[in-house]
Amino acid sequence: MKSVFQNVTVNGEASGSQQPPKSQKTMTKAERRELQEKQRAAKAVSKTPGAPGGAANAKGGAKPSVPAPSTPTAKKVRRGTDAAMTKPAGAGKDVLSIVGEDTARGLRIFSHFGLPKPPGQAKGDIHPTIVRLGLQFSEFKISGANARCIATLTAFKTVIQDYVTPPNNTLSRHLMTHLSPQITYLVSARPMSVTMGNAIRQLKLEISGSDIDLPEQDAKDALCRKIDNYIRDRIIIADQVIQETAGKKIKDGNVIMTYARSSVVEKVLLRAHAEGKQFSVIVVDSRPMLEGKKLLAVLSSVGIPCTYLLLPAVGSIITEVSIVLVGAHSLHSNGAVFSRAGTALVAMMAKQHSVPVVVCCETYKFSDNVQLDSFIKNELAPEGDLFSSFPLTRPKNTLTLHGQANLEILNPLYDLTPPTSITAVVTEVGVIPPSSISSIPLALGRTTI
Amino acid sequence: MSQGEPNSSPAQFDVFVTYQSILQNEEISTPLAAILTLTQLIEKSSAGTMFELVQALNDGAEILKQRTPNPISLNAGCELFIAFVTLFPHDSDSFSDLKTELVKQGRNYATEALTYRDKIAALALGFIEDDSVILTHSYSRVVMKTLLRAHERKRISVYVTEARPRGLGLRTYDELTAVGIPCTVVLDSAVSYVMDKVDLVLVGSEAVVESGGLINAVGSNQIAIIAKAANKPFYALAESYKFHRLFPLSQYDLPTHNPNVLSFPPASVSTSLPTKGAVIGSGLQKITPAEGSRSMTQEQVARNPNVDYTRPDLISLVFSDVGSLTPEGVSQYLVGMFAG
Repeated sequence: MKSVFQNVTVNGEASGSQQPPKSQKTMTKAERRELQEKQRAAKAVSKTPGAPGGAANAKGGAKPSVPAPSTPTAKKVRRGTDAAMTKPAGAGKDVLSIVGEDTARGLRIFSHFGLPKPPGQAKGDIHPTIVRLGLQFSEFKISGANARCIATLTAFKTVIQDYVTPPNNTLSRHLMTHLSPQITYLVSARPMSVTMGNAIRQLKLEISGSDIDLPEQDAKDALCRKIDNYIRDRIIIADQVIQETAGKKIKDGNVIMTYARSSVVEKVLLRAHAEGKQFSVIVVDSRPMLEGKKLLAVLSSVGIPCTYLLLPAVGSIITEVSIVLVGAHSLHSNGAVFSRAGTALVAMMAKQHSVPVVVCCETYKFSDNVQLDSFIKNELAPEGDLFSSFPLTRPKNTLTLHGQANLEILNPLYDLTPPTSITAVVTEVGVIPPSSISSIPLALGRTTI
Repeated sequence: MSQGEPNSSPAQFDVFVTYQSILQNEEISTPLAAILTLTQLIEKSSAGTMFELVQALNDGAEILKQRTPNPISLNAGCELFIAFVTLFPHDSDSFSDLKTELVKQGRNYATEALTYRDKIAALALGFIEDDSVILTHSYSRVVMKTLLRAHERKRISVYVTEARPRGLGLRTYDELTAVGIPCTVVLDSAVSYVMDKVDLVLVGSEAVVESGGLINAVGSNQIAIIAKAANKPFYALAESYKFHRLFPLSQYDLPTHNPNVLSFPPASVSTSLPTKGAVIGSGLQKITPAEGSRSMTQEQVARNPNVDYTRPDLISLVFSDVGSLTPEGVSQYLVGMFAG
């Protein structure tokens, strides 16, 4: 604790007046704090009446960091010039967006969550397909565990085909070093999903196992074929098996509740409807992503009777529900399901009312680790309303909150549903209880996922 | 160990008749009878390839399922055997050799399976302490074996539920008192009344399912819930061939549940009032001393289920010939058994 404060005072001191560090140590904690406050106030006064800047700067100063002495001054300079350009009383978008950036970096809690930002300068040899993909990821044009994995693998196929082994090197050894910066670039755009991680791990295994004696084009073709097989076997066909298995659990007259938009659940419902089953669907949605709207459009266009409501209203409708079907981002060995934020609420509510909760999940989404809570690893949704493509009656910026002096926006994208709230997990190897995840590799005939 | 001979003409093999005759043997339970029937089917079959054989087996199993009112344990046996046949390594050149081998394996399995009940009894014995009071439900051969075994070395007393409508609990009562075990029949509705006096609950099973839950005669779920509330252990005894890959999400997701169960009769003005002064509609009934109690009509009984599903979190342990499993362990075993 003490050291943190000392750091703080050092920062504050550096950008303020020059004082010998010795006197800092002789002061009591309270006196040091007072000094800090004075310096902060002094900074705030020296700026335009953009109070957010002062608060943000203080936060920036509060973080113990090595380049800190330069950043507060740098920020001060930048804000100074911007402020000079805009109207003093203006809540101009430029100031706000810069302030937004700084305040987001200043999140007190959960600062370890990845905040999506446009990927920086592409360092090194990044393939244009990967650049494009990174941009699509960071703008949430492609979202969803399956979609991201398929997009990544397809992009990698292009990269592999365009790759030329440098002389005195073998494909099996060098290709991986070639792919690593591409992967890093994608991760900088948006943190990697478990599906992407598993797929890339499998790809690395295939690359290192590829035959050294094969001519280059053959090796590349073989790799592309393996990628195609992976997509086909573990995603496409797995989805078909899940559709069939989960479809058996849907009976005529059922009311099915689903949350946000899962590609697998969408397929299950469409197929059950195509088979002639009579059921209705309740789509539960939540801000800021409002993904349920797309699912609603798809389901109602084929004629499934749907109801749409927002997450806070689940309690009033749960007694009407026969079964809850949700998708997953990943599944962990303790049986917990990592899925879109809000899924845990729906599952726990359903459990309270004895409604079975069925998670539809392919086996390639399994992650070996144990996750006990939602905040050890998570992501933040970007500010602003990127997601809605539907016509709005009010302008977008009136609907979204922006960061202000005393307001931090925290929108985690994922949450963890405990295994006790889940009744069954439908995978392509069958319906299993969540506590038996560890038996899946056995079912697939291999030692790891 | 006896095997029923098909009593139709040798040229025609009637699956269902064979099945019935095998079931005549008291010791053989439905899944084993199914396995033995299918073994005989292989013997009599004229299939030339594995594909045809599996097809014939599936058809035979289908016939059996359709003609049995409660096919769950039958399914378990059939699926186990068909999975075994499909996964059997067929590197023998002659197909008839393979068939002979399969038949031999089937019969060996059935013979060995008859020892499973003893294994389970030996396992469960360790959990029964001297001077225990045990509650059991209806009639189960494996529970009977366990209780008789326990009686040889320890003092036990048993409460058994009546298990309406079939009243099989009375059979348990007869058999236990015949060997000198103190036994009392309790009403199905008196289970919560008696639960605090009980040390442990032992039930048999029709099937143990993928979730780790239990399918057994109707009433088991109630007993499990009461045992949980009273903090008493609830043990299920099941042979490994009763493990089934079914996964019911609720009572109404069972294959035995149909729209007729728990349905309301069509509304009609009833003119058939009981003649001894009972008043319908106000719910009051005067029971005259000479008359005694009333019982349900056949039609009313038909609207009731035969089996129910007990959730895995209510079950303490499942005792089986493969060992004592937690409900979670059942799924792991099943996956291992049916995986490739």
